[in-house]
Amino acid sequence: MSHNPPIRWALLGAALLALTSCGSGSGGGGSDQVTLTYRLWDDQQKAGYEKVMAAFEKANPGIHVTIELLPYDQYWTKLTADAVAGTAPDVFWMTPTQFPEYVTKGVLSPVQVDASKYHQTVVGSFTYENKLYGVPKDWGTVGLLYNKDLFKQAGVEMPDKLTWAKDGTGTLLDTARKLTVDEAGKHPGDAGFDPAKVKTYGFASWNHYQTQWMNWVSSNGGKLVDKPFGKYAFNDPASVEALQFGVDLVNKHHVAPPATQTNPPTGKITDMFKAGKIAMFPANNALLPFVAPEATFEMGVAAMPEGPQGRSVNLNGLAEAVYAKSKHPKEAMKLAEYLGTEEPQKLMADGGYVFPALNGLSKGYVDYWKAKKIDVTPFEQEASGSTFPLPVTTGFTGFETKLNQIFNEMYLGKLTPKAAADQAVAEGNATVK
Amino acid sequence: MTSHVARTSLVADVKPVRRRGSGWHAYLFVGPSLFGVIAFLLLPMLIVLVLSLFDWELLSSPEFVGLDNYRRLAGDGQAWHSLGVTVAYVLLCIPLQTVLALALAMLLNQRIKGVRFYRSLFVVPWMATPIVLALIWSWIFDPREGAINSALALVGVTGPDWLSDPTWALPAVALVSIWQYTGYNMLFFLAGLQGIPKELHDAAETDGASPAQRFWRVTLPLLNPTMFFVSVTNLIGAFQVFDTVFAMTDGGPSHTTEVLNFRIYQTAFKEFDFGYAATLSTLLFLIIFLVTMAQVRFFGKRTTYDLS
Repeated sequence: MSHNPPIRWALLGAALLALTSCGSGSGGGGSDQVTLTYRLWDDQQKAGYEKVMAAFEKANPGIHVTIELLPYDQYWTKLTADAVAGTAPDVFWMTPTQFPEYVTKGVLSPVQVDASKYHQTVVGSFTYENKLYGVPKDWGTVGLLYNKDLFKQAGVEMPDKLTWAKDGTGTLLDTARKLTVDEAGKHPGDAGFDPAKVKTYGFASWNHYQTQWMNWVSSNGGKLVDKPFGKYAFNDPASVEALQFGVDLVNKHHVAPPATQTNPPTGKITDMFKAGKIAMFPANNALLPFVAPEATFEMGVAAMPEGPQGRSVNLNGLAEAVYAKSKHPKEAMKLAEYLGTEEPQKLMADGGYVFPALNGLSKGYVDYWKAKKIDVTPFEQEASGSTFPLPVTTGFTGFETKLNQIFNEMYLGKLTPKAAADQAVAEGNATVK
Repeated sequence: MTSHVARTSLVADVKPVRRRGSGWHAYLFVGPSLFGVIAFLLLPMLIVLVLSLFDWELLSSPEFVGLDNYRRLAGDGQAWHSLGVTVAYVLLCIPLQTVLALALAMLLNQRIKGVRFYRSLFVVPWMATPIVLALIWSWIFDPREGAINSALALVGVTGPDWLSDPTWALPAVALVSIWQYTGYNMLFFLAGLQGIPKELHDAAETDGASPAQRFWRVTLPLLNPTMFFVSVTNLIGAFQVFDTVFAMTDGGPSHTTEVLNFRIYQTAFKEFDFGYAATLSTLLFLIIFLVTMAQVRFFGKRTTYDLS
């Protein structure tokens, strides 16, 4: 049990103290030099942003930028406390799922950029009441990472196009079956196949909204939310069919590892893929820098399967948000706008960090990975097709844990997809304000 | 008896030496701690109490609602469920942890080879970070490749899906805590055991007391102060469990490991409902306070004796 002091209450107390003592306005000293704080959570990208900031400071001699790195889990707690205390960083990273909480409470400033120059799904993720709150920074999308060695061993070719349908037809399931092998060398469907003793799995189907079931739902014509800042709607028949498909891959077709091994928070699916126990693994391209160096096999990238309503994949973008109560609003806006221009976005793309949100700069990212022998063009193709953002609505942060718990049960086969979806939608809509 | 007299006279000798005015120095020494207690303990506690009377979504301005949060608490099944889980967790952890620690201390109080090594060995889990331990234990509990089920498989038993089975998740989390804190508690019992004068055991033995009688009549009563300390601190700790739950199960499956402290965290930092989270914290505080007071009454009567 925890013998730690209750840190969070101390933190809250400190935040309150800061709140009461604030407002005396000590900012704006005599010097011409302005120091801005820029906060992010990715230590890999920090290296890139150090170069970006150096270039910005060179072009704007009066402004100095301090980069603050906070681990993702602490990032949001700290940001909230800072926003309460009035001391949030001037410019910081924002995600679609957190965006509604912050924008509806007046923490973010609207920005003036030409929205048509950026990927439209990212723009849509950060639009509130017809205004853009945050300069689009980058995007990541879900593609299929696959283990070429396992394909070779099984003598299977990656089909030109993967497809799925609720009745179990389509090239995805067919391919996954051929790649799933038990200890006796048998495949699912063979007589004597033992699902309890599988050596390698053809596919990774698991409880992960971003890379998994939201994509099945969307490619079957289902809807996550009825509209931006609206209500959850993924319990309609089309969505439930799609959820059923995801669960069937595990519990009926046995081409994916059981949920006991993959359910968050302790699931080890990424490790299993890296260890060569899974042939096909849907993942966001942002995972590449973490997976590629450790994989001991030749890795390929394919586009996500097409569903009955075509292909529709999640595209998750970030934005450079400007703090509404920044002490240096002009300089903060200048920095955010600069971060949306070609020079910094190209630098981040060329470094293989992210696909930039600014249209027409993907080549740098593609070239970076080509040099590492990974062809990432399928991600790029997907992004130019039908994409959808994560649910942009208030309360998602509080709902996330509940959603994960309910869907864990569904992937374990203890709740039917219909019951799970009904329960999740009801609980989710109770959190929408 | 003689030593008692001698000590009294010694105190009497010292007494006249400048007592007045030296209070200043005392405050100087306790000052930093006192500041810490006030700023980081009493003040936040007071703030939480006040906050529980407000509706506050953190980023909007707080709104005074009086006892509304407490009325909401009365009908909040989820909160009472969490309290139930917490109590179950405490009941799983504390008795086992205490008995094991005492047994271990008695074993390691013997003259055996390498005793120092063993003593250190059992304290190692306490020194490690809870989150790291939770991660390692998650692997150990892995239903197919984990150490526990692999061992069970050797004797032909199919182990459960520990962390995703509603029946086993809470005991599994409790087991980690027991494992982690037994060695730490063992240290206190060891110190307590070594503080018992050997003469008392010798005398009891001479009087013909069996080992069992010596344990119940001599060892256990004289360990009372240790028992008091261990049970109070452990209970407070167990009621406040958070990190193991956070890292191992995230409150699941089906909320079976959702202890009150985890619910408070969810309410405050995920649902941004700070006023209500403060109300839940006040509830937890009250419960711990009452339980601790009960322990003080229970042990308080038995902790004074004259060993001289």
